[in-house]
Amino acid sequence: MADPVGGNGGTKLQKVPHAGAVFGADGPRGIGGLGGSAGPISELHVFWLAGMSCDGCSIAVTGATSPSVEELLAGSIPGLPKVFLHHPVLSIGAGTEFVRPFRDAANGELGAPYVIVLEGSIPDDQALEEGYYSAMGAGGFDPDSETDEPNRVTDWVKLLAPGAAAAIAIGTCATWGGIPAAAGNITGSMSLMDFLGKDYTSALGVPVVNVPGCSPVGDNFTETVAAVLMFLQGLGPLPEFDELGRPAWLFSETVHRHCVRAGYYEEGVFAKRPGDKECLVDIGCWGPVVQCNITERGAINHMGGCMVAGGACIGCTMPGFPDKFSPFYKRPPGSRVSGGVSRTYGAAIRRLRRVTMAGGNREPLWDRLDESPSPWAAEESPPSVPSKVAKFFYHRLQYSGSVNHDKRNKQQPVPKSLNVLHHDPEPTAGYEPPDPDKEEGAAPSEES
Amino acid sequence: MCFKNLPVEFDEQGNAHLKEGVADPFSYKVEELAPIESPEGEEKLHRLLERNGHIRRVDFDPVTRVAGALAFHTVVDLENRQVLETDSMATLFRGYEVILKGRDPRDAIFISSRACGVCGGVHSTTAALALEMAFGISPPPMGTIARNLLLSLEYLYDHPLHLFLLAGPDYSEPAVRETNPELWERAQSVRAAGKATHGFDTIAEIMTAMTPLTGSLYTEALHMTRVAREAYVLIGGKYPHPQTIVPGGISATIDTSDFNEVHLRIVKFFDYSQKVIAIWNDLVEFFYEANPQYREIGRRPKNLIEPGQWDDPHAYDGTFANVDDWGRKRWAPPAVIRDGELATTQMTALNMGVEEFVEHSFYEDWTDGGAGNGAYQFKTDPNGNPLPPNHPWNKQTIPKPGGTNWKDKYSWSTSPRWDRVAMETGPYSRLWANALAEDYSHLKFIEPTGHSLKLHMPHGNLPEAELEWHIPEQWGAFERNRGRAYSIAYTALIAYENLLMGLDLQRKGETRTSVDYKVPKDFRVGAGFWGAGRGYLTHHAVIDNGVIENYQILTPSTWMASPKDPFGNPGPYEEAVHATPLLENYEKPEDFKGIDVLRTIRSFDPCMPCTTHIYADSRVISRDVVTCACGVDDDGHDHEH
Repeated sequence: MADPVGGNGGTKLQKVPHAGAVFGADGPRGIGGLGGSAGPISELHVFWLAGMSCDGCSIAVTGATSPSVEELLAGSIPGLPKVFLHHPVLSIGAGTEFVRPFRDAANGELGAPYVIVLEGSIPDDQALEEGYYSAMGAGGFDPDSETDEPNRVTDWVKLLAPGAAAAIAIGTCATWGGIPAAAGNITGSMSLMDFLGKDYTSALGVPVVNVPGCSPVGDNFTETVAAVLMFLQGLGPLPEFDELGRPAWLFSETVHRHCVRAGYYEEGVFAKRPGDKECLVDIGCWGPVVQCNITERGAINHMGGCMVAGGACIGCTMPGFPDKFSPFYKRPPGSRVSGGVSRTYGAAIRRLRRVTMAGGNREPLWDRLDESPSPWAAEESPPSVPSKVAKFFYHRLQYSGSVNHDKRNKQQPVPKSLNVLHHDPEPTAGYEPPDPDKEEGAAPSEES
Repeated sequence: MCFKNLPVEFDEQGNAHLKEGVADPFSYKVEELAPIESPEGEEKLHRLLERNGHIRRVDFDPVTRVAGALAFHTVVDLENRQVLETDSMATLFRGYEVILKGRDPRDAIFISSRACGVCGGVHSTTAALALEMAFGISPPPMGTIARNLLLSLEYLYDHPLHLFLLAGPDYSEPAVRETNPELWERAQSVRAAGKATHGFDTIAEIMTAMTPLTGSLYTEALHMTRVAREAYVLIGGKYPHPQTIVPGGISATIDTSDFNEVHLRIVKFFDYSQKVIAIWNDLVEFFYEANPQYREIGRRPKNLIEPGQWDDPHAYDGTFANVDDWGRKRWAPPAVIRDGELATTQMTALNMGVEEFVEHSFYEDWTDGGAGNGAYQFKTDPNGNPLPPNHPWNKQTIPKPGGTNWKDKYSWSTSPRWDRVAMETGPYSRLWANALAEDYSHLKFIEPTGHSLKLHMPHGNLPEAELEWHIPEQWGAFERNRGRAYSIAYTALIAYENLLMGLDLQRKGETRTSVDYKVPKDFRVGAGFWGAGRGYLTHHAVIDNGVIENYQILTPSTWMASPKDPFGNPGPYEEAVHATPLLENYEKPEDFKGIDVLRTIRSFDPCMPCTTHIYADSRVISRDVVTCACGVDDDGHDHEH
């Protein structure tokens, strides 16, 4: 009888059956599956596959807090089902024990609904005669297979996607192709949507869901998962996705609209070099044309965010990343027009605003006394005559149709305890504000 | 002096040159491998099987709880509890080095960051260092301080993640009960010496707290990784791929709020690191006392490489001419440690000794067996020191995907060697290099003694403490984890010192974080020497006409996950697994799970995304004293299928 011959041309040794099952052969094979609420779905398996990936999306997800990965896996959020995660970085079992549920799902023998999550791009290795660019597990997909060759991740995707309740692409590599698909790549990498094609829908009839970002904000992913689960459990609305399958509530705005530095842009003030506090467009920020929410949501636990810290947006959530946004650190050509316009009109706007702000920086009492008590500046310049005229008309407009607090304040008596260390206040029965009924300006003025 | 295998000598002034009269000084002969499962290994296999029927192949594909895709193949003798053969496989290739070719050099920072999502920030900084050398610029002091803080904060997230989410579960109650129930029994009655610091009465309580998801140490670690990352994103914008690294500094706008929020988060790690050290000291000592053979798990010679990291903001000038000088002024100095002895602390010597081999990797050799046909690009570094054709500055990435064959090619990782010796690197290589640098008196909270490193911890809620990490007598898996625990305290102290220096710069008004630069259009070379959570990280760049001509990334896990070199010597994972005794409690081969192998592999904290995936062909030898029924038949026939 011939010995089975392995890929190395020699005799194949017998394998041990439970290598890697250090939590027991019958123990949990992924991680999670605790707690959870009963509902239309009581148990869900999540198969996490890594293609041409850096694992950055996984790391981003471990940073999520709304909800956190441990809340999802421990089943501690009422309404959500039990979630089993089969993830190469987080799962407790290894090797065959880890791969078995993947095989079961691929063969339709899992006995529970599952979703697949792909992190990383899809390489063109289906076209290779031999070998792979990205592999997970070995020994083929059929339990009786004799092969020892590593299994291509692309094969896993092909086998698992049709039966999945949903296929979710996380990160810019899986959603659009990302850096492994950039100019000069030699692996033919592409997105999950490109690989599965336009006709693909999951077992529940859903096209590929895309949560982009390089790396994505962890909460964008966990929130999307939680929103979909809430819907499936009958507890929430159907989450809205845009024309590219992105969660619409997360990606419909440009990152510039919520940017903490956008006000500088409006006033035409720009950072000259990295580290400056102003708008970063001149040092290479693409924020005004990039759909992302990091300036609103922050990076981790609502903290940080690219432009919040001072980093120029390079469009990492967009299908055109990286080539349509490089070379990095170079001013986007479009900003020559829009930045030029904002410089011109911003120069006027910000000067007018400084006048208004100067008024806002004076407590009404200081206006009445015509001085400020602050010793912090050696001399505070008193309002000029033109600014007083401007203030008069400004207040007319501001209070028109409402109560004129400018007038009312003029009638407030000056407090007697001013400058108490130098003058003992004159004793009085009490502070006497003007009678509201007789006060000038207390009644709404006619709308003009 | 420092080289034993490469034909490089030093003159009295310390300048390196090639030995006289050696033809083809760097050429080598490739040693043929004879794996047990290949025709060449047939005879050996039959000899083994005659001895006992418990030779098994044990594959871990994938090795989980490591970053990225790693597979490990072993052949083990379960009767004699030995590992006979190991092969480590990196199973991913994305070609970042090739993608970077022909691009604007400015793209290197953000593109190379995406080589690794576990430690992306360090790639950005290493790329910036390489560009600075090529462009002839260096950051203002505050720029360097900010980078040092980012590096520290990255480690403060990374080490707890490894110790409690990746490696930790192998020491948790369910895993110990499953693989060594006698140890679980014992753990319940052994008092934990560090109770005053960590609060647990017994070792068993610690093990229970390390259980995934339900254990308090597991969830606390996850929380602490977020605390560190919150501080990181205040300066870096986001994580793992920061947005504020630029050539010539950093583009973060750092004000009092940023320093305040970063400060408070660093301080949290003073208490936390003391706790983590107490936990791991208790665990390690428990295993050693239960069975002294645990010292042998993951055993390997003390060969370590450390490029140095955390730049002195006033010394770093970005030039290769002064690299030995500013290298030595880093918090952790550059060092090569061979058999426990310091071989060099010169960055130039460290750099020139590095070669990458691809005989067992899915790439084509570009050197013609090290001869290079005399045509390789850089015969010397910019200072005139000789460079081998297999050096990263000379390396070409030419992928060649194919079938897996333990005799020939089986990994997407290359085989880096220093002076043709396999080196490991990690948080402990920083501790080690620093401990040996006795003249290092300028550090504020850290004191090297030549055989240990004293850490002067400020108080948090816990009182002030002096902690001491000792260079271990026996190097192995448990010491790697212990070293990583100490590294959290070490890192927190370096972060704190950098924060204080940053506040001082703020007080002096030196708040500028970047310099102006132009992308040069002439021929330039650059190298970034830095560190990742797992140790050594370098980028070597060649730039011409304003575009990248060659870009080479050498990562810590490439060093450690490497397949065999042309001399037939294994990479560090392979070497360590091979030396590991199998102490797992099993009666029959079918019961074998491989906990000791997994503890060994995970003790290195593998991070495969930037290495590629590692697939190790090792056969697990398990001991079956009861029955031969499931062994390989006398005729070698495999009954399993």
